[in-house]
Amino acid sequence: MASTKLYTIIFVVLAALTTVQAWVEISGFLDQSYWLAFGILGVVASVKALMVAGYFQHLRSEPRSITYVYAAGLMAALALTVAAAYSIT
Amino acid sequence: MSGTIATLVTVLQSDGIIPRGSRVEVFDAIYWVFLVLGALVGIVVIGYMLYNAYKYRDVGETDEDAAESKKVERPKLGELPRGGGGGRKLFLSFTLSAIIVISLIAWAYGILLYVEEGAAEEPPTEQAEALEVQVEGYQFGWRFTYPNGHTVDSAVGDSFKVPADRMVRLNVTSADVFHNFGIPGLRVKSDAIPGQYTQQWFIAEDPGTNYTARCYELCGAGHSDMTATVEVMSQEEWQNWYEGTGNETETGDDGNQSDGGDDDGHALEDVLEEPVDYGMEVHA
Amino acid sequence: MPDDNNGDDGSVPSGERDASPESRADGGEVTDGGHAVREELPAGDEHGHDFPSMGTVKRWLVTTNHKDVGILYTVTSLFFLVFGGLLALLFRLELTTASGSFLTGTAYNQAVTAHGLLMVFFFLSPFAFGFANYFVPLQLGAKDLAFPRLNALSYWLYLLAGGLFGLSFLQGSTFAGGWTMYAPLNLPMYLPEGVGSTTAVMAMIMFVISVTVSSVNFLTTMHRMRAEGMRIRDMPLFSMSILLTVWMMLFAFAALLAALIILASDHILGTTYFAATEGGSLLWAHLFWFFGHPEVYIVFFPALGMMAEVFQTFTGRRIVGRKWFIAAMTLVALQSFVVWMHHMFLTSINLEIKTLFMATTIGISLPFDLMVFALIYTMIKGRIRFTTPFLFAFGALLLFIVGGITGVFLGAVVLDYEFRGTYWVVAHFHYVMVGGAMAMFGALYYWYPKMTGKMYDEFLGKAHFALSFVGFNLLYFPQFVAWETPRRVYNYQPEFVTWHQLSTVGAFVFGLSFLLMFYNFYKSYHHGEDAGDAPWKYASSAEWAIPSPPSLENFPGVPSYKGGSLSFLSEEEVHGAAAADGGPAHGHATGDAHAGGHDDHASYWPLLSSVAVFVLFVGLAGTNGGGTVYTATAALGGLALLGTAAGWVVESFHVSEPELASRWPFDGVENTKLGVWIFLASDVVVFGAFVGSYIFIRVAEGWQNWHHLLPADHVVLPGLINTYLLLASSFSIVLAMVAAEKKSRAGVVAGLVTTLVLGIGFLINKGIEWSHFFHIHSEHFPEGWTFGTNVASSTFYLTTGMHGLHVTLGLLVLLWMIPRAWRGAYTSTEDGDKPLEYFGLYWHFVDIVWLFLFPLFYIL
Repeated sequence: MASTKLYTIIFVVLAALTTVQAWVEISGFLDQSYWLAFGILGVVASVKALMVAGYFQHLRSEPRSITYVYAAGLMAALALTVAAAYSIT
Repeated sequence: MSGTIATLVTVLQSDGIIPRGSRVEVFDAIYWVFLVLGALVGIVVIGYMLYNAYKYRDVGETDEDAAESKKVERPKLGELPRGGGGGRKLFLSFTLSAIIVISLIAWAYGILLYVEEGAAEEPPTEQAEALEVQVEGYQFGWRFTYPNGHTVDSAVGDSFKVPADRMVRLNVTSADVFHNFGIPGLRVKSDAIPGQYTQQWFIAEDPGTNYTARCYELCGAGHSDMTATVEVMSQEEWQNWYEGTGNETETGDDGNQSDGGDDDGHALEDVLEEPVDYGMEVHA
Repeated sequence: MPDDNNGDDGSVPSGERDASPESRADGGEVTDGGHAVREELPAGDEHGHDFPSMGTVKRWLVTTNHKDVGILYTVTSLFFLVFGGLLALLFRLELTTASGSFLTGTAYNQAVTAHGLLMVFFFLSPFAFGFANYFVPLQLGAKDLAFPRLNALSYWLYLLAGGLFGLSFLQGSTFAGGWTMYAPLNLPMYLPEGVGSTTAVMAMIMFVISVTVSSVNFLTTMHRMRAEGMRIRDMPLFSMSILLTVWMMLFAFAALLAALIILASDHILGTTYFAATEGGSLLWAHLFWFFGHPEVYIVFFPALGMMAEVFQTFTGRRIVGRKWFIAAMTLVALQSFVVWMHHMFLTSINLEIKTLFMATTIGISLPFDLMVFALIYTMIKGRIRFTTPFLFAFGALLLFIVGGITGVFLGAVVLDYEFRGTYWVVAHFHYVMVGGAMAMFGALYYWYPKMTGKMYDEFLGKAHFALSFVGFNLLYFPQFVAWETPRRVYNYQPEFVTWHQLSTVGAFVFGLSFLLMFYNFYKSYHHGEDAGDAPWKYASSAEWAIPSPPSLENFPGVPSYKGGSLSFLSEEEVHGAAAADGGPAHGHATGDAHAGGHDDHASYWPLLSSVAVFVLFVGLAGTNGGGTVYTATAALGGLALLGTAAGWVVESFHVSEPELASRWPFDGVENTKLGVWIFLASDVVVFGAFVGSYIFIRVAEGWQNWHHLLPADHVVLPGLINTYLLLASSFSIVLAMVAAEKKSRAGVVAGLVTTLVLGIGFLINKGIEWSHFFHIHSEHFPEGWTFGTNVASSTFYLTTGMHGLHVTLGLLVLLWMIPRAWRGAYTSTEDGDKPLEYFGLYWHFVDIVWLFLFPLFYIL
């Protein structure tokens, strides 16, 4: 599993995606179409997180149950955030 | 699920099963239904429980038991836990209880919609236009602001005067901490939250009656004493009183309710001058 | 003494001694420190045979044995029962008149608040976890919990959190804002003057840390250390209820931890979350009840599990519909996280969400119907013996039925509108909660013979039940009748005075009945008859198959259920089975006398670390307003904590993982790694709650209407640089891992040092940014943009600050690891790189959090 090359590629991709995120703001794209940019930023952040979790934390090679535990925490946090924000009148 | 409930509610409403009227009438109807049914279910279940406990009490080994116990498997030390039989009976009672609970709640939901309609913009009644009052809680009293800008304050002994048989719609907020405004006699209650507005309504039916409004959320040392008198007047009497109040504020143009609560705070200092000793220093 | 081995031999590369002949992950040995590798075994008194006897004080200070810790929990929780109970008697006395007489104002509020907090947090759950500590390993067939030292740590943190709470009374005034701590009454500006309130908040934080540590421990144990042949669904119902309880605890208490940290920050740093008119008050309600509703089941489930055990034993019948009982409990545990807004029906939440939460609330009540019927039907064809435990369990079921029915009233939103804030609610939840406590008292009688080896006095036990049951109903039933009384008032409607007087009489009957219990247990402990191994006919779980009280390591052999029922395997059989399994052959170069080795049972470090946390928290509570003495105390506590943490990881503490066990669904992940993952899952919720709070407040303010709260200098660049730095540091720790696998010592050191440097760079960059914001003098922010400037600055500093704290903790661990890496600790043995991996998991998690904070706080 120890493949320095793979890890290096992932690191480069992560850094590149980060640059894309910053570019979204700096280029003024965010100001032009806020919610589209919002969506893009969210998706990019999630992709980055999945890459770190999947490869650096090597969840890919762990029993799936570990991923479920991690995901359960995420679901709980999402339930709280989404329902609370939605309840605002 | 919610679709089914909505359909059910429409059916019930058209048949007059959903009670209407003042909050007191609505509450009484639903409360008694719940109480009677609840007591009934409770008595049946607890009775059955006691009956079984008595029937199957251990009376030592009789011949009958000996025969019986050959049929009945008992838990053994060190076994892997297993379930006993009787699953069908279990599901039957579960289904029954579920039906009772769900139908009760669906019915109560219909009443909720009726109550919520009252709090919303369009009043469901054909009576005179609702009276809109801003209610602001503070440590430790209530301020009531009428549409003409006239404000009464419970802490200086003013009563909250309302006309009988006319819907009073409350827009409730707080100047400092979380309070809850409730008039138990009129079955109305609403959270008073700083920065938030909550809407509730009530109709008082008996002119000449006084009710007490209380705070129902712990709000500090004076929580226990945070009361206000609600005075129900006949419509003419109330109208006479109300017309005499309009001139005292310059900004008192009618219908200016949306900005209620903007004057947070400045009356607070005055109120705190009041010589009530709550055994603490209030440092607002 | 642990100190004996702090010295040089702590620094000896442990590798040679830890040469496990193979590296299969789930058979190796681990210690319970995050990254501790086995060190020299001291020749001192930590071996089982030198373990101090139960008669000595030292035993109780150093013990890590689950049964000892269970007894400590039980005794301590009973102390808090008395503490909370006396407060209740105090205000019940006050309520004998309809107007304030002797306990008024802030004093009254303190009494009701402390009563609630003590009973809910410091009595109910710890009481249940006394039994859980003692009996879950026995029912599972484990020698101890997975991390015995962490278990002792949980206990000491709990005890000292209680001490901290007690201390708050002496600091002028404890917290007086109700156990629900509604905002913004929970802020210093509305609370009685003095640091007492803040101390109480810190005590709660300390308690929650204890709970989190405990949850991780129990989850690891219960998932990975069950006897061979015992599937999850085969666990006795008490253990089953505890498993579900700890899962709920793990996530629910994480949300409470976030809420309390925010509250402490509002108190100490002056952030303005809960004072914010942009929904600050509602934010607290959401966070609190997101924790608070699962908490109801967290408190009640263990009681339910005990009821099921006691019913099964004393009716002599297996639980009817057992698998449905389990399914119902599981459903409730899941659903408990989506019902919280039923505590907020009268707030300004919208009708759609009210409808949704009404539906989920009704949904969650139905599984309880099933469980109640299952217990009732279990009696049929039974041979019911009305012993004290059964009477209590039976009484508790009856009380729960009343509590449940009155709860349905509250589920109907319209009725809830009227019941809100009244004694209906008070009576309802006391029927449920104290009803649950009644079941637990039954369990105390049930297990007393096992824990002490002595039988209690049956007559006194029955008298206790009779008095307490009558007292209970006299106490709480009149409160239904007088339900229109507002909660937490001493001035109430005079027409209810008789009912309240009756209730007070009931309170005294109920309270005094416990004197019988204490006397009974005291007398029986000294003069009771020997109970024997299995005093109860038809009891089936494993704790009854071993002596009362059980020996230090519990079982005469290795428990197994492979043949369908409990048997104890000899060492040879275990080796045979494990080998046939492809499992580890478990020979160690350590010279342990037998496989599994001498497990250690004693350490001072849990106690000492807890004391350090206590001192730190006492100090922190007073840093804003208490003067320099407090700041100095905090500094002292912080240093002590660092010292004790170092002592902890240096200490040799040997714990073996069972060779033969059911480990579903975590086969192939060793205990420590699973523990790290479970902890991280709870940390996900902590950060999730922080981010959720930010999103909630920002939505309440108007998402795009936010920027006027930010200084113009708030630009992307610092966040961008820090993202690169953190990503690079994640990469370098991965490289260190790769180097460790290649046994390259220099590579490991280089990777770790790079990570350290990048992490420090991250903190420096953040420091520059913060310092700039603090000192800006713009038109909008003439005084700088600091913690308390507005709600945007508060959320920014606290959320990124929490993350920065995680980075800092990581760097401290790195500072510890680099010299060890230099000495080859991670490269000289097969499994030596495990600690690196665990640290990596944590560090990458901190990285992931930042990946979300970056767009949220720097771009959007």
